[in-house]
Amino acid sequence: MAQIDIKNVCKRYPNGFEALKGVSVEIAAGSFTVILGPSGAGKSTLLRTINGLETPTGGTIQISGQLVTQATLREVRSQVGMVFQHFNLVDRLSVMTNVLTGRLSHRSWLGSLLYLFRREDIDLAHDALIRVGLTDKAWNRADKLSGGQQQRVGIARALAQQPRVILADEPVASLDPVTSEEIMGLLREICTRDGITVVVNLHQVELAKRFADRVIGLNDGLVVYDGPASGLDRATLSKIYNRNGDQVDEQLETMLAYA
Amino acid sequence: MSSSKLCWPTPNGLPALMPTVVLAVSILLLVMSASSVELNLVRLFNAIPRMFDFAGNLFVTPDWEYLPTLGTNMLQTMEMTFLATSIALVISLPLGVMAAKNASPHPAIFHATRNLLTMMRALPELVWALVFVSAVGLGPLPGIMALSFVTIGFMGKFFAESIEVVDSRQVEGVVAHGASWLQLRTFAHFPQAFPDFVGTVMYILDHNLRAAAILGLVGAGGIGFDLVMAMRMFDYGRLLPIAISIYVVVTLLDRASDKFRRRLI
Repeated sequence: MAQIDIKNVCKRYPNGFEALKGVSVEIAAGSFTVILGPSGAGKSTLLRTINGLETPTGGTIQISGQLVTQATLREVRSQVGMVFQHFNLVDRLSVMTNVLTGRLSHRSWLGSLLYLFRREDIDLAHDALIRVGLTDKAWNRADKLSGGQQQRVGIARALAQQPRVILADEPVASLDPVTSEEIMGLLREICTRDGITVVVNLHQVELAKRFADRVIGLNDGLVVYDGPASGLDRATLSKIYNRNGDQVDEQLETMLAYA
Repeated sequence: MSSSKLCWPTPNGLPALMPTVVLAVSILLLVMSASSVELNLVRLFNAIPRMFDFAGNLFVTPDWEYLPTLGTNMLQTMEMTFLATSIALVISLPLGVMAAKNASPHPAIFHATRNLLTMMRALPELVWALVFVSAVGLGPLPGIMALSFVTIGFMGKFFAESIEVVDSRQVEGVVAHGASWLQLRTFAHFPQAFPDFVGTVMYILDHNLRAAAILGLVGAGGIGFDLVMAMRMFDYGRLLPIAISIYVVVTLLDRASDKFRRRLI
């Protein structure tokens, strides 16, 4: 059974914009999938429908066989970690507390009201910080860290909840190339070592080629490519990045030069 | 360099229509209301000698015997302030959450809470104090009740507004990991709105001290009763120490809150 089963998902925003026009994808457990596509193709929307941050206007999504609905949202989210482009850490809380928010779905409301956690939660959070190499910053305030460090805290937060799936929405779009490399390496290592299913939205074709098992190309709300990273040749890329029927060969030349 | 024409940053270079109209109408209304409330500069100038007269009266030997009583009453005023503000703080936090658009459990609750808060702060402390004095009798208790009541109205509204400006990205970062409704408020909204909360509480403490200082006017405890009596009896020997003590306490509180805020933010 597929870890994530997306069936014919559509999303139309209240302003009439159709971000997804019927996307069906099955993602296997323990795989590393990269979603490529131009801005506005629906990459973020697709990723966000998986853990219910967006509600699809049509179609269904199942995670480990469980349907994602308003009623199952908390349960689904407890199995799905998320890493964001802008890190989305709570700036004023310490790094440790931010990582511990990944444990909240396992804690009662009363304890949480007093900021109380169990020893096991603290240990898990600590382990997660070891994985991302930030134990020395555990008690710093989150906004005192650099972008790359904040993103590693974001990954630690996702790890601390011991998820089956990690969704990463353009996790390296705000980072420099070297840091991007580290972050992608970290996500790849988490996928390989812990068997966590990782789905990443990316803008960088070369990163997709190097890290992905499988690439899904989205354009204008539809899947235009679905295959191994090695299949990303010039024709495929121009299909993925093609806009309004115009060929974008010129930019593609440059892009492929770096790819 | 050639001199070029000055223009506004609008498509046609003319001032934007709406702000101009709003400004013109506001000035017109202010001028009209100034004459209707008899804002009269001549009368103000004529009053200056009398003001100096009154000020001159203040500088008499203070009534030393009264000072211990002043201390006790001032202490009571401060106790009333801190108690009322603390009670209001505890009640305002949940009300503030319910009155914030992005944190309220339901639009109906949002509107109901907003209206409740408006109702609570619609009348000044003195009026509520009158109500509570007639309900529970004279003393500091009705004063504290009146003060908390109005404070909840203000604090709840301020808290709600601080919560509403919390960045939705951080909220999303916590919600995506399966946090419950209350956990989200505790771990995302609250810490991000916290510096604003502290600012609000400090401002309200300052305001409440001054409000508590006049509640005695209607028999609701504190220094206010002495203040009013001294005024009525032309007892300048007491009036000046009372005024100075209020000034000193307000200033000390202001300094303390500045220090406190700087350490937190």
